Amino acid sequence: MPEVEVPLEKWTGKVNEVRLGGNGRQAVVVGGEATFPFLQFEGAIPNRPAVAIEVLDVQPTGWPSQLAAAWGNVLADPALWAKKAAEYGADIIALRLKSAHPEEGDTGAEEAKKTVDKVLAAMDLPLIVLGPEVAEKDNIVLVAASEAARGQRIALGNCEEKNYRTIGAACIADGHVAIAKTPIEINLAKQLNILLCDLGVSPESILMDPTTGALGYGLEYTYSVMERLRLACLTGDGMTSMPMICTVGEESWRQKESKSDIEVPATWGELEQRALIWEEMTASTLLNAGADIVVLRHPKTVEAIKATIDKLMG
Amino acid sequence: MISIGECIHVISSNVRTAIEGRDKAFIQDMARRQVEKGAQVIDLNIGPQKKTGVEVMGWMVETIQEVTDVTLSLDTTNAAAIEAGLQACRKRAFINSTDATPERLTALMPLAAKYNANIIALSLAATGLPTSADARIELASEYLLPAAMEQGVPMENVYLDPLVLTVNGNQDQTLATVEAVRFFKQMSDPPPMTTCGLSNVSNSCPPERRPLLNRVFLVMMMGAGLDSAIVDPLDDELMATIGIIEARDDSTPKGKLYLALYDTYAEGGAFDASGVDMSDPELRDIVKTVEVLENKTLYAHGYLRV
Repeated sequence: MPEVEVPLEKWTGKVNEVRLGGNGRQAVVVGGEATFPFLQFEGAIPNRPAVAIEVLDVQPTGWPSQLAAAWGNVLADPALWAKKAAEYGADIIALRLKSAHPEEGDTGAEEAKKTVDKVLAAMDLPLIVLGPEVAEKDNIVLVAASEAARGQRIALGNCEEKNYRTIGAACIADGHVAIAKTPIEINLAKQLNILLCDLGVSPESILMDPTTGALGYGLEYTYSVMERLRLACLTGDGMTSMPMICTVGEESWRQKESKSDIEVPATWGELEQRALIWEEMTASTLLNAGADIVVLRHPKTVEAIKATIDKLMG
Repeated sequence: MISIGECIHVISSNVRTAIEGRDKAFIQDMARRQVEKGAQVIDLNIGPQKKTGVEVMGWMVETIQEVTDVTLSLDTTNAAAIEAGLQACRKRAFINSTDATPERLTALMPLAAKYNANIIALSLAATGLPTSADARIELASEYLLPAAMEQGVPMENVYLDPLVLTVNGNQDQTLATVEAVRFFKQMSDPPPMTTCGLSNVSNSCPPERRPLLNRVFLVMMMGAGLDSAIVDPLDDELMATIGIIEARDDSTPKGKLYLALYDTYAEGGAFDASGVDMSDPELRDIVKTVEVLENKTLYAHGYLRV
């Protein structure tokens, strides 16, 4: 074999390290990369990408049967579900306060606080709490979650341009991490980080959610935005240096390729395997685009993606 | 540097009302104010005006010629209205504009020849926005300039426009337009003229961010050889910046910096901000704006605050 000289880039920037948990809970640190994903020969990658498992605060409706069956009875209880998710190898639990959505129960601050308390007590992994993605309700339940988890350094999502002040202020007050979500747009992603930092949130307390498009549903746009954000970060742009989180499970399990077995071409193959591949492909692609946290739904995908990360980390 | 004043534009509701009501005084005042602020050409954007374009353009030209003999730029997609305007103009006018599509070139280039008018020619084809300097140059060399030559329109009457796109979302296209202008000036002897819609560079940026982006971009474009630009002449700072470059006024730190930027682009080199006093907020903001326009720093609305 002839000697081949591997071309190396010299980067000036690196991703911020963000710690979740600690203070009695397990701690997970994400970020810190000084190169593009998994290019250990070029720069330091001090932390593995983390796998979070999504837990809903209400029994999911409309989930494909194989996804529901993989969890069974625990779906009715977020605390049991979170405990089970920890057993299945989650690094982080991502609790979605779906019941706060005006059309899903419209629960408020009290219920949110109770659920967060219960889930925190059921396992010792770091926690992400996600609102129902209705800005006014996010403000109410995420502030309650923030107070309930004071000192536990959870991540709160999502901060959007509309409500970043409220969530950002809660993160500052209670020592949490803000998840800044923007709609697959690189300039807006940077802008929201600037706004959060102006508010006083430290850059080491921000994660970016670039908005995930699943395989076949905008994955390449998400990939491109993440790649360009990471390039800007590595070339020294401090306002794009936040680790990135992708809500993979939620996006891939709602596509018809993951749900439908009737009136689809035979070449699509068998549903059960196809659906798992959909989530896995979306996750592994975005890990290669620079995702620091992927939020997944199916235990088998978790197993497969953790194995992939093991191999890529060498 | 020829400033083409953009304030008489049908998108402005005041202008639209004035056109509909044939309000001479409003139009005359708007023209006069732009001329007083240094515009050498006044653009008359009347919109498509499919039905009444011929009458409206004729009226506009007559109205303005009652109070000033400034050069006029006839800005509509209605070719008949352009011709009506050309017939009414006492001085050589601008046709604004053709693009690289056969329909527009066939309709407008003969008018430029017949009336000895200047014509603004956009490097834009039906296939979509140009994505590189090369794409812009190709449209000019394959379509725009051959069409002018075929009709006998002299190069000094052709104003190539590289189609400026906004830095917010098309950040890699900013330098591509600068480089296209540089190349346009080398495409023939005598060279064609160049122009651009300056404020496009800051489209969709917050209003308070736009003037500085426009000013700094104009200096870069002037360095690359831009002969004229469609601008807001009521923007005093913008007109003062043109004045600084033209008078080579280095009596202030800002003037020195703008001239250094201009000279760098005139030589085709890379701008080096290392000697700039970054403790001066005005100079620092200019340098940050250069870095954004050069695509060295990712644009965000709050880029000056980082």
